[in-house]
Amino acid sequence: MEALSNIVLGFSIALTPANLSWCFVGVVLGTIIGVLPGLGPPATIALLLPLTFKMDPTTAMIMLAGIYYGAKYGGSTTSILLNVPGESASVVTCLDGYQLARQGRAGPALGIAAISSFIAGTFGVLGLMFIAPPVAKFALRFGPPEYFALMVLGLTMVVFLTGRSVARGILATLFGLWLAGVGTDVFTAESRFTFGRKELLGGIDFIVVSIGLFAIAEVLINLESQSGAEIFKVPKGLRNLLPTLQDLKDSRFAFLNGSVVGFFIGVLPGAGSTIASFLSYGLEKAVSRRPEKFGTGVIEGVAAPEGANNSETGGALVPLLTLGIPGSSTTAILLAALHLWGFRPGPLLIQENPNLFWGLVASMYIGNVMLLILNLPLVPLFAQILRVPYYVLYPGILGVSIIGVYTVDNSLFDIWMLGIFGLLGYFMRKLDYPTAPLVLGMVLGQRLELSLRQSLMMSQGQLSILVASPLAAGMLLFAAILLLVPMLNWVRSWRVKAIEQEV
Amino acid sequence: MWFLLWLKSSPVMVFYGKGELLAAIVLMSFGSFVIYEARGLPYHSEFGPGPGFFPLWIGIGIVGCSLVMLCANFFRGGEVIEVSRVELVRALSAWLAFVLAIALMPLIGFGLSFGLLTAFLVLVLDRRSPWLAIGVALGLALTFHLVFAVALGVSLPAGPWGF
Amino acid sequence: MKRQQFHFTVALLLGWVFAIPVIVCAFEPTKPVDVVVHTAPGGGSDLFARAIAEMLQKEKLVSQRLLVVNKSGGGSAVAMSYLEEKKGDNHMIGFFTGVWVTNPLTTKEATVMIKDLTPIVRLVLEPAVVAVKADSPYKNMKDFIEAAKKSPGQLRQSGGSVTGRDNLVRLVIEKATGAKWVFVSFPGGGERIANLLGGHVQMMVMEPQEAGEHIKAGNLRVIAALTEKRLPSFADVPTIKEQGIDVPIIPQARGVLAPPGVGGDVVKYWDGVFGRFVKTPAWKKYLSDNQFEDGYLTGNGLNKFFDDLTVQMRDVLKEAGVKVVR
Repeated sequence: MEALSNIVLGFSIALTPANLSWCFVGVVLGTIIGVLPGLGPPATIALLLPLTFKMDPTTAMIMLAGIYYGAKYGGSTTSILLNVPGESASVVTCLDGYQLARQGRAGPALGIAAISSFIAGTFGVLGLMFIAPPVAKFALRFGPPEYFALMVLGLTMVVFLTGRSVARGILATLFGLWLAGVGTDVFTAESRFTFGRKELLGGIDFIVVSIGLFAIAEVLINLESQSGAEIFKVPKGLRNLLPTLQDLKDSRFAFLNGSVVGFFIGVLPGAGSTIASFLSYGLEKAVSRRPEKFGTGVIEGVAAPEGANNSETGGALVPLLTLGIPGSSTTAILLAALHLWGFRPGPLLIQENPNLFWGLVASMYIGNVMLLILNLPLVPLFAQILRVPYYVLYPGILGVSIIGVYTVDNSLFDIWMLGIFGLLGYFMRKLDYPTAPLVLGMVLGQRLELSLRQSLMMSQGQLSILVASPLAAGMLLFAAILLLVPMLNWVRSWRVKAIEQEV
Repeated sequence: MWFLLWLKSSPVMVFYGKGELLAAIVLMSFGSFVIYEARGLPYHSEFGPGPGFFPLWIGIGIVGCSLVMLCANFFRGGEVIEVSRVELVRALSAWLAFVLAIALMPLIGFGLSFGLLTAFLVLVLDRRSPWLAIGVALGLALTFHLVFAVALGVSLPAGPWGF
Repeated sequence: MKRQQFHFTVALLLGWVFAIPVIVCAFEPTKPVDVVVHTAPGGGSDLFARAIAEMLQKEKLVSQRLLVVNKSGGGSAVAMSYLEEKKGDNHMIGFFTGVWVTNPLTTKEATVMIKDLTPIVRLVLEPAVVAVKADSPYKNMKDFIEAAKKSPGQLRQSGGSVTGRDNLVRLVIEKATGAKWVFVSFPGGGERIANLLGGHVQMMVMEPQEAGEHIKAGNLRVIAALTEKRLPSFADVPTIKEQGIDVPIIPQARGVLAPPGVGGDVVKYWDGVFGRFVKTPAWKKYLSDNQFEDGYLTGNGLNKFFDDLTVQMRDVLKEAGVKVVR
């Protein structure tokens, strides 16, 4: 009952004209930021901080949060239409989303992304509202051994991403793991594989690699032949531009999957929305009736990761608002913003500032609704981008990629990396090497090595610490089971073939 | 042994097989490079693996897998994928133009180098008219400049004339 | 009458003649000033610089806009070489932290030393405290040291990079007491606290404002202040020296510097700006809100501070077994 009065309080604050309009500003700005590759919420929020000093803190928080989860809605747009990931978390959406666009189903893909984002985003807010404190406490039980187990679990998803050739998939993953290791070793401050270049001391930026491998490579592939007629079919009629009932039916598990996985991964400090989207995608494929179709354009392959990266924002706010612990770069800025406005984020924040917390939570509901209303009608509009003639589209993609990458660090070196990874991506496509495992290896590699070495440091070299807690052991077991699934399938199909031959 | 050589010399298969073979060799040398560098880093640290541990095993894995690829290449059965030389040349020349544009960017700024790149893609690769090439190049470069540099205040690589 | 007028005119003219060099030589920025920081947006240095830029402009101490430029990578390496490349640029300043001193000592690729740049002012010294979980058996530093001595290498401390202040503090205490415990690096501040609260590590060196809220909520306990004098917000927490552990206090400093080769008038200008700035009530409030120590230091004192710190860091790092390359 107390929750009910809090919700009423929250809505009474969120529904004021000022808060509504700034919420709107935030989500629109967030969507735009999400669409643009490279530019992300952290930089934008940091830039806007001075403006917020003149505003009421609750209003400011509502707007900044709007940018945060709004960006997740926008990230899928360029991923689906152009194979250009708008945000690190949208990389996974490229896999099936772009294929759907090529089949003329860009509209349904964009629509499902928006719907899934809405469902998962709402789930995230509900989670934040009702189960934040116990979930935060649960997340504290995650130490290095548990993170290691989680990363191993994530890596087993490679098995589901390899496609034809397992050797190629493993090679791609290994290369991704190596890429993750380039830079400065956290524990010994030694530089690894930096080739003497100081720009590499901080490691290679993930978004640069993704844009190169996906977007640039795609352009190069398409430039192989002179552009003639439109390859992208853009069907007319509203019915073909929105998801069908069948699409919604196919995605029902994905909605649940994305919501739950995203939220829980978001609560863990340090595990970000990229990991959440990969895990959700892998899980969806593992339980799907048509796993072999993933990567060729299945709608739930878009619904799951898009949902995951939206509920992740709700999850990431849990440790921030219940414990004062920032879990990602964006929440770190929000934490600093709260400090600047005079709040003391910590375990007592919710009790001492109910207006802030419940007002924010209520506004997140409203924000999600606003985003759904904004994005769905815009789907047909966005799909028209594919009508642009190729000789404008491809240079355009190259230009946006360059600009997007440059906004990350203002570094020309990054643009060179774009060129290098573009070429790599091109050759990988030509030689049938899957790019998804490379990206997965890169995302997980750093934390995999980090948590293994942290765990062994804590146990003074005893490997047993990795399975000491039931949580860690359980996840490793689950990973082992997941590895067995394709093997069982393979055995089963082999036996079926053998039986057929006998007959 | 001779069978393998005969198989490899089959003309239709050579092209794809060649690419795969080259890739396997490149990967193997890359893997060896990684192992070499990793040996230079401490394998152990105070407790547990040091900075050289992971790269070493990654390198070994890469060498191992590329060996598998090499063998698979020899035993390749019926699958044949044709690779067109023309397509390869087109894509690579586009890439070279892209790289050239990047090299020019600090000297003449984003606007001009991107414009030149676009003009090249439209004129040479897409074989449209020079007027269209100039139009698209100008249009795109201007749009990017207005949207990003002016409206959003994002800084782009600029030449001596400010853009 | 005419003679008086004549003398007056001469005096006026002479006055102008002497004033002109001063007016001409006094530096004033004529276009926006770049503020270089070594972290990404949202990082500690970035937020510090933005807060100060905001205050400077609010107090109208600087006539032009201050734009934060993020040059992150390799600790401070990328930012420092960027500043070094911009030799003589009058419209650029950088915000340094302790990393700018230690990074070149341990990283081969970080070729620019802090003395290669033009120091302007040191603004704050960040104190640190030793924190443990509230339900842990360690009521003071002595308890922790005893426990560490009884089971060497079993206790754990969470922190950042091995060259960061928190690890260096551990090394000097280990040397002074003979106790040994493990340092576990976590890249993000949030994770360090989370691991402490979750019981995966036993101790952490943190900044007082980080600890404040958790102490109020009863989750953490501060067992020592790593400062010369007790901290005002932790008046009942004894300093490490008071508890009998005699170690050098390793400061985490923050301040401003400029690219090499800028003229003396530019340095003078910034000296003036910051000299006035540290007197403003807004700054004083910022210091107390964030529990920073006023570390205002300029000129020769600042140069000596850098020299002393470099020597101290080199020694501590060498003793720790970290490879020192410079």
